[in-house]
Amino acid sequence: MEFKDYYSALGIDRTASDDEVRKAYRKLARKYHPDVSTEPDAEKRMRDINEAKDVLGDKEKRAAYDALADRVARGGHPEGDFQPPPGWDEGFEFHRGPRQGPADHADFSEFFSSLFGEAERRGAARQNFRARGEDHHAAIEITLEDALNGAEREITLRAQTVDAQGHPQWENRTLSVKIPPGVHPGQFIRLAGQGMPGHGGEPPGDLYLEVRIAPHKLYRVEERDLYMTLPITPTEAALGAQVQVPTPTGGVVEVTVPRNARNGLKLRLKGRGFAGKTPGDLYLLLDIALPPADSDDARKAYEQLAQATASFHPRQHLGV
Amino acid sequence: MVNFTVTTATAVSASQPLAASELAHAVGADTAWVVQLVEVGILRIETTETQPERWQFSSADLQHALEARRLERDFGVGLDAAALILDLQHEVRRLKAVLQARGLR
Repeated sequence: MEFKDYYSALGIDRTASDDEVRKAYRKLARKYHPDVSTEPDAEKRMRDINEAKDVLGDKEKRAAYDALADRVARGGHPEGDFQPPPGWDEGFEFHRGPRQGPADHADFSEFFSSLFGEAERRGAARQNFRARGEDHHAAIEITLEDALNGAEREITLRAQTVDAQGHPQWENRTLSVKIPPGVHPGQFIRLAGQGMPGHGGEPPGDLYLEVRIAPHKLYRVEERDLYMTLPITPTEAALGAQVQVPTPTGGVVEVTVPRNARNGLKLRLKGRGFAGKTPGDLYLLLDIALPPADSDDARKAYEQLAQATASFHPRQHLGV
Repeated sequence: MVNFTVTTATAVSASQPLAASELAHAVGADTAWVVQLVEVGILRIETTETQPERWQFSSADLQHALEARRLERDFGVGLDAAALILDLQHEVRRLKAVLQARGLR
């Protein structure tokens, strides 16, 4: 395990005041916010700075961390070979702040868990703290077909449990999750009792999985609607046609392309998107594909078309 | 050690909504905080019931509450400002989706 330098994660030095810690954190939190950041590792950086702020923003944790960092510096641990020395946190007591989110610490590093995870629980136990376990949040990416039809998927999570002696420990847990049919992107799937363990004999929290849909080769997802590009021939566009279209649930429907359909025209198949109180639709974006003029017959047909539509001037509005 | 558990999931939806207390627990808050979110319009309830225990919340509400909680925690913003930031954030996401739909992103 690597010893984490929380000061460099926030870009501050060890003498930074509480106010400087807060300011440095907010500046970086803005920089790596998922809606504005273009950095490829924004999510990981956000986790790192959250973890650093959790420790350096808390007087007790910061003092214990500083003392440990001094011991590590004196002991000369090789990089990547850190184990907290026994009793490293004697004289310090940790607790989770009231403004912390649900099971935030579950996303933190092994380094953080090894230092503060058990100590926080000991602190809670000493205070005869009783409460249901925190709910845990994670995301699950599934295929569009699985979202629409339902599926059984295995997910592996790093989860906190309590051993027979009451000591918390982290373990990799594989859950086989039955995903109900009709889930849509952004929806939460709730797994009762799969969150963090309870305190003082109370039940565990729940696990919430946010649904994300993997990119699909045919369909694009936009909230509850689906979009698909539908290639058609110029003849079908001009004269109108009945064309067959695959649906994401595995079926095929026949769709009417209207006469004189233009490129980019949007046809709506009502209610063929994600289910819900207001079901989504499937939109077909017409894309007129030109047959190549690579044979005498094809060239002749284009010439005949040009003669028959000689009064058609698509660039008239350009004034040339 | 690897533990294998088979579990059935429920999708948070109109037919299986969250109660105010469940929503509060899911974001590490209390019911009074959920009431504040309703008051500032971050959460919208589709009922005239004034008793929070009768309110019902969807997945979108849970998403909004989590985002508001993060804004509060990360930047120390008040809930009125959080409501405005969330409105702008959702508008940015909507516009980005429109750009992507037109092949401009």
